[in-house]
Amino acid sequence: MTESAQNTAPAGSAAGGSSAEMTGASEPEGSVVLEGVTKKFGGAIAVDNISLNVRPGEFLSLLGPSGCGKTTTLRMLAGFEEPTSGSIRISGQDVVGIPPHKRNVNTVFQAYALFPHMSVAENVAYGLRQKGTPKSEIRERVTESLDLVQMRSFADRKPTQLSGGQQQRIALARALINRPAVLLLDEPLGALDRQLREEMQIELKLLQSRLGITFIFVTHDQGEALSMSDRIAIMRKGRIEQLDDADSIYDSPASAYVAGFIGQQNFIAGTMTNDLSVMESPFGIINASGPHEDLAAGMDAQAAVRPEAVAVALATGDSTSTAANQIRGEVIGVSHQGETLQFLVSIGNDQTLLSRVPRPNAPRLAVGDSVLCTWDTASVHLFPSDQASQAQADIARAVSNPAPPTSSISL
Amino acid sequence: MTTTVEGRTAPPRKAPSKRPRWLKLPSFALAIPAWAWLFAFFVAPVALVVWFSFGYKPGIFGTHANDVLSFDRYAEALSPTFFTTFQNTLWVGVVGTLICLAISIPFAYWLAFKAPIARRGILLAMVMIPFWTNFLVRTIGWQIILAPSGILSEALQSIGMLNEPLEILYTRTAVLIGVVYNYLPLMILPMFVAFDRVSLPMREASKDLGAGRWSTFMNVTLPLAKPGIVVGILLVYIPLMGDYITATVLGGAKGNMAGQMVANQFQTAQNWALGSAMAVVLVLTILTTVGIAALVAWLAAWPLRANQRLVLGDKS
Repeated sequence: MTESAQNTAPAGSAAGGSSAEMTGASEPEGSVVLEGVTKKFGGAIAVDNISLNVRPGEFLSLLGPSGCGKTTTLRMLAGFEEPTSGSIRISGQDVVGIPPHKRNVNTVFQAYALFPHMSVAENVAYGLRQKGTPKSEIRERVTESLDLVQMRSFADRKPTQLSGGQQQRIALARALINRPAVLLLDEPLGALDRQLREEMQIELKLLQSRLGITFIFVTHDQGEALSMSDRIAIMRKGRIEQLDDADSIYDSPASAYVAGFIGQQNFIAGTMTNDLSVMESPFGIINASGPHEDLAAGMDAQAAVRPEAVAVALATGDSTSTAANQIRGEVIGVSHQGETLQFLVSIGNDQTLLSRVPRPNAPRLAVGDSVLCTWDTASVHLFPSDQASQAQADIARAVSNPAPPTSSISL
Repeated sequence: MTTTVEGRTAPPRKAPSKRPRWLKLPSFALAIPAWAWLFAFFVAPVALVVWFSFGYKPGIFGTHANDVLSFDRYAEALSPTFFTTFQNTLWVGVVGTLICLAISIPFAYWLAFKAPIARRGILLAMVMIPFWTNFLVRTIGWQIILAPSGILSEALQSIGMLNEPLEILYTRTAVLIGVVYNYLPLMILPMFVAFDRVSLPMREASKDLGAGRWSTFMNVTLPLAKPGIVVGILLVYIPLMGDYITATVLGGAKGNMAGQMVANQFQTAQNWALGSAMAVVLVLTILTTVGIAALVAWLAAWPLRANQRLVLGDKS
């Protein structure tokens, strides 16, 4: 019941329908429910009244810049932090106050945290040994677990003899051997180089669909989140900004922050007309598919259009077009991106538009060409101007301060 | 596949050095000052002491002679009069080190994991401050505290725990209190560093995998902190065994220790041969006991290792 409510919940309603009437018994194994969870460190609020409903077997990403509260949320699920207020249920069981070793969740740590004084097999066996599993069974399940990540031949080596990617797999095998209901992953691919990271993304996703375990994945890398997740929770300043699948987040961002944080956007400033889906800008009329709930007539607004939604064509004649969603400009840059061509178009007033066109269909344009940029009404989203500038400032800050490297590998 | 990767990332060949050949020193040249120092001020004196220990005291004005070599000085050093002092030394050394260990482990653990990080500097300084005071002065301070008419005795009598003055000064117990006090910082510091290096994610990973506090301590924290603990033990046990200031100031006749005895032979009795033999016996005692302790610790950890050990031996 709650699941269907979830599905139809409008984007931006900050996750998880009200589940006050829900009882523990109705929550199946592998579900994770957070209700009004707040975590304060001294006076600082790390997580601010978050509600989230993770379905069993779901791959959910918590995405956001450093300091947005995503890692704190994960640590509360693992049991390393206790919420200041609110409730957390895992598989229907209230886990607040339960220490980490008694929770049916396991964690893949950012820097893997493999025990250097144990071999790979002993690392993987650690969880079973703590449960007092008989040795013959340990041997069997360690083998099985190492097979799962294709690392069996490394069983008797020490973790320090392995590469980052191999250590990553061992950390995964070690966390999965206890067959947790929920696997928590804290930026597990952050320390890998790009190519290996992309390989591991595919592998992680395959593993998750094969095992059917709920994965909660913390990352600041939007590509990672978009490529693997069933749903993504975009976090900002301790709150969930939007919780939705990758398509919806990309195509219908609930806020200017989400619009700017995921992918690239052209932002065009203007003023709202009486029709709340029409904005007047110095460059012409901009039509959007629908109004933003916070907009009012006469308000300063910003329209967001993705570069790939912008089509460019050589301008014919010098008729000043008055049609909506059309802006004339001059090409000031062309760059080859492999499968796409990217055009930077100056539209006056120091403003540029970015257009990205698949290469086979791309028009042959050169710097200096006079062009007409056009786009669909459906690809335009309008946001109040103050929200948009605040969001752009936050995103710029997030980009200039990437997540600090983990402290655990420092000596 | 692996080989191609390795082949690709093979380090570039070393560029030939521009320096003339005769200027190039072998790399061990960096260690020559240290070796020279150690040889002149450690190896040579120890060799000399061993050499003297086989000689004898030639007469009332001579200190040593080596024209006749024998083991007689060793027999003398281990005669009942002196043997009790060796026993005494060993007792103080072992018990003192164990007490330091019992105090240091919980304290260093607390300092590394539980104490507020902002106050760590002050807490460490408090451990170190006694160390900045002269060793002798600190020890004499204890003489005042432990005297029969001293603060401790008075305090215990006033609260009714004792009916007569405390007769603890100039006993083995006083020496024990003194050495624990004097050497404790040497144990706490390396142990704190060792615990501090056991990273939080490592301990969290252990708890995450189902280990409780005690199990995490035994399986992860302690093994990873082992080098620091061993350093702490050695740093306390070895100088403690050779200590003679504490024994002289607090031990009197009943709390005699081997270091004091050796000093007596060299300085008062002018018998360098016997003093040397005693010094060699002391060194051998330290080496043997450290060896035994290492063996005992290794055997005691055997069940834990056997339980943890898992070799799949599958090289497929």
